[in-house]
Amino acid sequence: MKLFLVTAVISILLSACLKQSIPDAMLAKENSGGQGDVTATLSYKINGNAVNLTVPDAESQDPNSYTLGCTKFGGYIFDAETSTGEFTYNFFSDSLTVGHYSYFGSYGDMFFIDYNGQDEYAHYATDSMSFNVTSYKNGLISGNFSGQLSPLVSASTINNIYGAPGSILITDGSFQNVPVFY
Amino acid sequence: MPKGPLALAVLLAIAMQANAQLGVTKMVGNNTSQYTTGFTAFVKAGYPVSDGSDITLEIGADIFFLNDGYGTADGTIMCPLVAGYRYTLNGTGEGFYVEPQVGFNLAGVTSLHDASGNQINLNYHGVVFAAGAGYLFNVWHAPFDLNLRYETVVDHGGSNNFISLGISRYITFGKRNKQDY
Repeated sequence: MKLFLVTAVISILLSACLKQSIPDAMLAKENSGGQGDVTATLSYKINGNAVNLTVPDAESQDPNSYTLGCTKFGGYIFDAETSTGEFTYNFFSDSLTVGHYSYFGSYGDMFFIDYNGQDEYAHYATDSMSFNVTSYKNGLISGNFSGQLSPLVSASTINNIYGAPGSILITDGSFQNVPVFY
Repeated sequence: MPKGPLALAVLLAIAMQANAQLGVTKMVGNNTSQYTTGFTAFVKAGYPVSDGSDITLEIGADIFFLNDGYGTADGTIMCPLVAGYRYTLNGTGEGFYVEPQVGFNLAGVTSLHDASGNQINLNYHGVVFAAGAGYLFNVWHAPFDLNLRYETVVDHGGSNNFISLGISRYITFGKRNKQDY
């Protein structure tokens, strides 16, 4: 009896250590297509200052807490944690496909980048951020992006104060092999 | 008749008691937040091997709905067949008990939509482990079983883990060597 109990408890504990559900594990195998570990990258320049992020074995990241990835959550949220802060982009679409996506400040205030503690927003009508998804294959997306944003100078519960319109230029934006989680 | 169902039928035939249970269940673990509370149902046969313990055989169905924003019947269904050893702590066959179980998932399917919006049906089986505890009691002269258990199905390098809470009414076909139900 004791042996049976101990064996059962150990088996359950070991199986509970598996970090993926069965569907996630099956889909990960399908998506990888036997291609092995994939390295995801993100790079861009913010007013000429380069920001780079490389994540080896990107598909093995925890879907609930990752460094570079895209999650289906209503639409799709592209998110990265770089050494200078967060980078995020919302794809307002039920289905993420290869194509061009844009967000304009006229749609409403939207946060995109935290650069060394300064938040960059699309706020003014002339602000924008554009994403091109050039490849979506095996659960991985690649593409490029650019934009011009405005810095949040002072946050307030009544009115936020923003800096010069379009004073934050995002150039040479590129992302490769970013895993899409759902 | 295939050997598996035949063996099950034989065991059910010699079983001294049988349960039918309904309960609620919750998928737990990574990336399971979109699963709503599910339902579980099973029938279980038990054969007493001592005054305080039974060997059990159980076949059930666990149903989980996936709220993934598509408004469809996405979710997971599994049908585990498990054998267990139910041991009442006071050695009487009543009161609190523990019950480790091991078995096989006869059928499992998860329906969901991929990132491109295409529906996918994933079929699998897998080994099943479960650890349960419960309380056997009578309401008037009707025997009931209130139980809680953790169950895991392992296949394809992943595991579906869930916690179930249920109450069952059971029927005895024979008596232990003491005053019973």
